Amino acid sequence: MTRKKVTLAYIANDAARKATFKKRKNGLMKKVSELSTLCGIDACAIVYSSYQAEPEVWPSTLGVHRAIARFKNMSEMDQSKRMVNQQEFIRQRIVKAEEQLKKQLHENREREIVQVMYRALVGEGLQGLIIVDLNDLGWMLDKTGKEIEERIKKLKKSTPSSEQAASAELQADKAAPENHAALNDVVAVEATQNQPWYMDLLKPRNEGDALNLGRNDPMPSYPYGNPTPSWSDFYFP
Amino acid sequence: MAKKPSLGRQKIAISKIPKKNHLQVTFSKRRSGLFKKASELCTLCGVDIGIIVFSPASKVFSFGHPEVEFIIERFLAQDPAPPDSGECRLIEAHRNANLRDLNGILTQVLEELEAERKRGEALDEMRRESQRQCWWEAPIDELGLCELEQLGGSMEELKKNVMRWINELMKSENSS
Repeated sequence: MTRKKVTLAYIANDAARKATFKKRKNGLMKKVSELSTLCGIDACAIVYSSYQAEPEVWPSTLGVHRAIARFKNMSEMDQSKRMVNQQEFIRQRIVKAEEQLKKQLHENREREIVQVMYRALVGEGLQGLIIVDLNDLGWMLDKTGKEIEERIKKLKKSTPSSEQAASAELQADKAAPENHAALNDVVAVEATQNQPWYMDLLKPRNEGDALNLGRNDPMPSYPYGNPTPSWSDFYFP
Repeated sequence: MAKKPSLGRQKIAISKIPKKNHLQVTFSKRRSGLFKKASELCTLCGVDIGIIVFSPASKVFSFGHPEVEFIIERFLAQDPAPPDSGECRLIEAHRNANLRDLNGILTQVLEELEAERKRGEALDEMRRESQRQCWWEAPIDELGLCELEQLGGSMEELKKNVMRWINELMKSENSS
């Protein structure tokens, strides 16, 4: 089915409008019918057009009369509670869309900040970030830090301590990479300066790795520290 | 990979839905979709429409353009044409102008939403790409104990630096 994006506006072209009317009117009737059958409920639809004198109805003239009668039997309040005209309906749609947009913006912001965080971890400087970004970055670091702590606790419970010591020893073999520009340098750190570090370190993981995560690609290896790591050796500001 | 948010479109038989929850959810979604289609038909083709729908809980939903009551009265009176007068046409013109504005706003918001969704997908794709290169970007759940400890430590250091940098920026802002 070819789907062209349709602008939400009156179709000026008579022929196009008539064709659209026919298709959509039929589609509408089909949808009412399906709704009624699937959910076992009463419903009716009335469509007036300039193309014919009598309105088109679903399910039938009698069916519409019945629905209207049932409708009118209800209290004024019940009738109007969920009654909308075009204005109200479009306004509702706008509100809904704006909420979705807000949510999506928030999600995208989180995704961005996560990227900034990972870039900062590998050495791209914090220059160029405004305070708002830095605050969000701090928040994300806290959040991720907590997740890491939780996970560490969980793993420590299930892993006996001898395994931990063994895997720590294996990591001691790996070379620690060179350090990088200190954060305190207010001078802007070019991103390009920092990129080479992990490129140079492309190292496939050892077979005997206790922490085999199944990755076989040669990949930049995060420097493994000693069993008692000193973070200043390999945190890259 | 993240779990799929929903099953997507599934073909169903057009007969009464057996499960009550399923029925209620379907009613809610389809009723909403029905009104949306009716609203679009009104906008695109400039026709008058009335829809009445009774919910499984016997509440009533109705949509009408220009108004539900007008359509009902017109139908009952078996009136081929709505009352026409200078005043009516003026009211109609106002109404249509207002609707044009509203539809314009709606279109704009929907476009922004679509753009942000695409951006979100692009960001996800970037993340997936870099996850292939950098093991420490993997989801926390997939990392081993040693890696977690390193990563956690690096993050603490970075956090300190971030706070330091924020203080510097605030100091320079205050002094200028």
